[in-house]
Amino acid sequence: MKLKKAAKMLLASALSLTLALSLTACGGGGGSSDSTGGGSDSQEASSDGAVNLTLWQPTDKEAVENWWVEKLDEWNAEHPEIQVKREAIDRSDSYAYENKITTAVTSNDLPDIFFVDGPAVSYYAANGIIVPISEYFGEDELSDFADSTVAQCTYDDELYAISATESSVALYYNKDYLKDCDVDVKDIESRTLDNPLTWSELAEIAEKCTTDNYVGTHVIMDHGEGLPYALEPMFISNGKDFISEDGSEAEGYVNSKESVETAEYLAKLIADGYANIDPIQDEFLNGACATMLGGSWDVAILEGSADFDWGVTYYPVSDSTKKAVSPCGDWSAAVSKNCEHVAEAGEFLQWLMSKENVASYAAAIAKPATRASSYEEESMAEYKDGPRAMFVEQLQNTAVPRPRTPSYSVFSSKYAEAMTNIFSDAASAHEVKTDYIQEQLDSVVSAFQEDYDMYYAN
Amino acid sequence: MSKQVKLSGRKKNERTAAYIFTIPAMFLLVAFLVVPILYTIRYSLFQYQIVRPDNISFIGLQNYTKLFQDENFWIALKNTVYFTVLVVPFQCVLALALAMLVSSKFRGVAIFRTMYFSPQLTSMVVVSILWTVLYNSNPSTGLINSMLTSLGMEPVNFLSNAKTAMNSIIFMSGWQGAGYQMMIFLAGLQGIPRDQYEAASVDGATKVQQFLYVTLPGLKGTIKYVVMITMIQAMKLFTQPYVMTQGGPKNSTKTLVYYIYTQGFQQGNFGYACAVAAVFFVIVVIMSLSMKKLIAATD
Amino acid sequence: MNKSMKTSKFLTKFLFYAGNIIIGIIFISPLLWMISASLKPEAEIFANMNSLKTFVPVQASLNNFKEVFSRLDMVQVFKNTFVYIALILVLDLLLNSICGYALAKYDFKGKGLMLNFIVALMVMPMEAIMLPLYIEMSQLGWVNTLPALVVPFVAKCFSIYMFRQFFCDIPDELLEAASLDGCSPVKTFFMVVMPISKTVYATVFILDFVAHWNDFMWPFLIMTGEDKRTIQLAVQVFFGTQPIHYSAIMAALVVSAIPMLVMFMFMQKYYIEGIASSGIKG
Repeated sequence: MKLKKAAKMLLASALSLTLALSLTACGGGGGSSDSTGGGSDSQEASSDGAVNLTLWQPTDKEAVENWWVEKLDEWNAEHPEIQVKREAIDRSDSYAYENKITTAVTSNDLPDIFFVDGPAVSYYAANGIIVPISEYFGEDELSDFADSTVAQCTYDDELYAISATESSVALYYNKDYLKDCDVDVKDIESRTLDNPLTWSELAEIAEKCTTDNYVGTHVIMDHGEGLPYALEPMFISNGKDFISEDGSEAEGYVNSKESVETAEYLAKLIADGYANIDPIQDEFLNGACATMLGGSWDVAILEGSADFDWGVTYYPVSDSTKKAVSPCGDWSAAVSKNCEHVAEAGEFLQWLMSKENVASYAAAIAKPATRASSYEEESMAEYKDGPRAMFVEQLQNTAVPRPRTPSYSVFSSKYAEAMTNIFSDAASAHEVKTDYIQEQLDSVVSAFQEDYDMYYAN
Repeated sequence: MSKQVKLSGRKKNERTAAYIFTIPAMFLLVAFLVVPILYTIRYSLFQYQIVRPDNISFIGLQNYTKLFQDENFWIALKNTVYFTVLVVPFQCVLALALAMLVSSKFRGVAIFRTMYFSPQLTSMVVVSILWTVLYNSNPSTGLINSMLTSLGMEPVNFLSNAKTAMNSIIFMSGWQGAGYQMMIFLAGLQGIPRDQYEAASVDGATKVQQFLYVTLPGLKGTIKYVVMITMIQAMKLFTQPYVMTQGGPKNSTKTLVYYIYTQGFQQGNFGYACAVAAVFFVIVVIMSLSMKKLIAATD
Repeated sequence: MNKSMKTSKFLTKFLFYAGNIIIGIIFISPLLWMISASLKPEAEIFANMNSLKTFVPVQASLNNFKEVFSRLDMVQVFKNTFVYIALILVLDLLLNSICGYALAKYDFKGKGLMLNFIVALMVMPMEAIMLPLYIEMSQLGWVNTLPALVVPFVAKCFSIYMFRQFFCDIPDELLEAASLDGCSPVKTFFMVVMPISKTVYATVFILDFVAHWNDFMWPFLIMTGEDKRTIQLAVQVFFGTQPIHYSAIMAALVVSAIPMLVMFMFMQKYYIEGIASSGIKG
């Protein structure tokens, strides 16, 4: 009997613990922030007076990891008063990394500095997760960075993040195979930024090159962020961006007549069988497709393992406007709201984004640098000509950042869903249905507007 | 019943033991499962943008009224039920068949068991990536379609057609998961006494008769358990649509857990996601409890 | 035994093996593909996906494995993983089995309620309660510590229910005999019940080991830092940013699957012993 009593007591204490926990949860959830800020103890100034900063970034390839080790050793030796520690976050995709940030936000466990993907800057800035760093980057300094980078990192006229590297997309083509198909490769090679391939020219090449064993072209089909990233220039080139300049309005933009036309063009490539609805990884590399809208990161892969002659040309333009546009955006460093030493973090970022560091970092990660002056550095020599130079030229002249709106993630996932539906419909019906496209793009507008109005409209 | 002849002293002892035995597990379940569920229910009454924990507002049952008008919720519910109804019989029968194949002791049995269990040894993510490629719609890249075309059939857009996407996931899931249930059936089969088979064999029962009159009744408890856990796991379908189809095409593979996850994390509507989770929880509890009743009624 | 019976017995045996081999190959194909891909150079992995050649590494090399071991401290990773899984499993097998046993064999107030409670809780998907659980860990001050990986996952409704189903089949007479011999309930459980229940312990062990070995999302959210990496987090390193090298990913996956394969083969032993012990149970 005694034991039974003890058991009852135990149960009661379990319940009271439960209750206590849910009560503190109310406090924590509602009131938030016990002012200690970051859960990481490393934030507290250590006994010798040095400030400790923690930095989060997705784990990267070996060269990048080594770059950080070397550079942070250098920084920490020169700045005993500001010690920086980097935590590499292992992640399967950018969603997983963002989930980690999100989770840390709910319990104020954010590190002092963390890397965010370009289009997420507005979301974090609008929600006060990251703080402005404008005062650490003067106008002179910023003018050296690509305009698109600065634009992507700016929200409400304040700079919230800063990036060392950029990315871009252009049209790769399999020279050997195109020649076999009687496509004028010389003509493609001679194109310049003022005179890129047009949509109809691309469709024509794709038609010529599509056989049982080859598809004409390859569109990124990741059902995720890849779709808005790679396809937005098509929409802009045809006259309408995804969202209004101020980031508040989608009606009349992503569902406009022009945008429907753009989606129709893409859907037709699928309906006619010129592009695969579910292309496999490395389709182009394996010599299974003639052309590909591919990223600047593909250069290194193709140089390493392609067993055919290939080239890359500027992002194609709409026939009606001939306006050249290209994608951009990459991971950028930002200072979190839980950082108690913003000035020190700012000083560190200034150093991190110096001309020399940007150059060597860009070389290590094999991406184009954001600073024009970095290209003077020895480590950036391979960007002087060839495919890499073309990407830099595109970035400096035609790059447009993705919409700067706090509701971007809602827009992006809904847009990816709509385009997937449109492509799937085109593939199974073997025809393009304008009404269906309109309906799908309308649904993107309403999802976006609902989120924007609920959380951000004044 | 033997219970009635138990000594009262033993009974008292038993009751004490029962509490000592159950309380540690129960305590942990309450602390780390019930408490989060209570949080979930609480947050479902708030407008809560996930990265703004300092700025949440109580909105009563608004998330719930929104939910019942939300077309996407009903689609997700329908897809979840569809998946469950088809995958449970498929997977359970397959698992039982595999268990029968490797239940007896023969040369190489360990190897065959490992083979059948091996899809479990690779993570669901990897299996999903592989099958995405196997299911590829282009016969020049997808193994299954290349086989179909060589047999003179039309290629099928397995994952990119709204009509076939969910069925493709069902097939793959059954194949991937059967090894798990097979292990449980094997444990159950070990519990059937050998002499029952011997007796049946002496009575001249064929293998089929032995299966029907010895094996199946002997596995009754195991079958109940397996059906129940398969059903419950099926209701939680998430990884396959997350990796293979992202809920598409045309919402055909959007499931409830996928919807909860995307609403909560990707779209940041945490309060709303909690409401969906709460409703999901209620539905599945009702389903599994009535299932339990239904199974108990067959005794 | 006449000749035709012998032939038919041989035929049955042949068909039995042939069937097992064919089905076995279908089941093991992803593992084979993974192994073959891990030996291939990057450009070959998704080539030939339309034929069975995709399962054959033509230019096999161990370069991918070299990359895995040079980029990761695998000793540390395995240590981290084994420590937390071992802790979970020891507590899991102990606490859930005694709970399942009480629910199977004892009469006490609240038993029906507990059973329903366990069945109801089985359905809660981790994805739905992850964030609240994280908040709870944060309030307990457990973020980035070992208890956060272990304690919340010790009690498992599935395991309790599985143990209960199994223990229900143990004849009451056996327990009564033990009781008459003067065994206390606790002693009865550990001295009589446990030794004849190897199969169910082996089953729960295998299933939970595999489940935790594949844990990703929770360790990812709750742990930060290279020294705390668990196996699935380590594998994610290769998913990294663009360009993604599938060859290295596959090699990492093969490395991560080996301990499970060994564990599975080893635990099989207890299934064979299960047959022998079933005599006592009948």
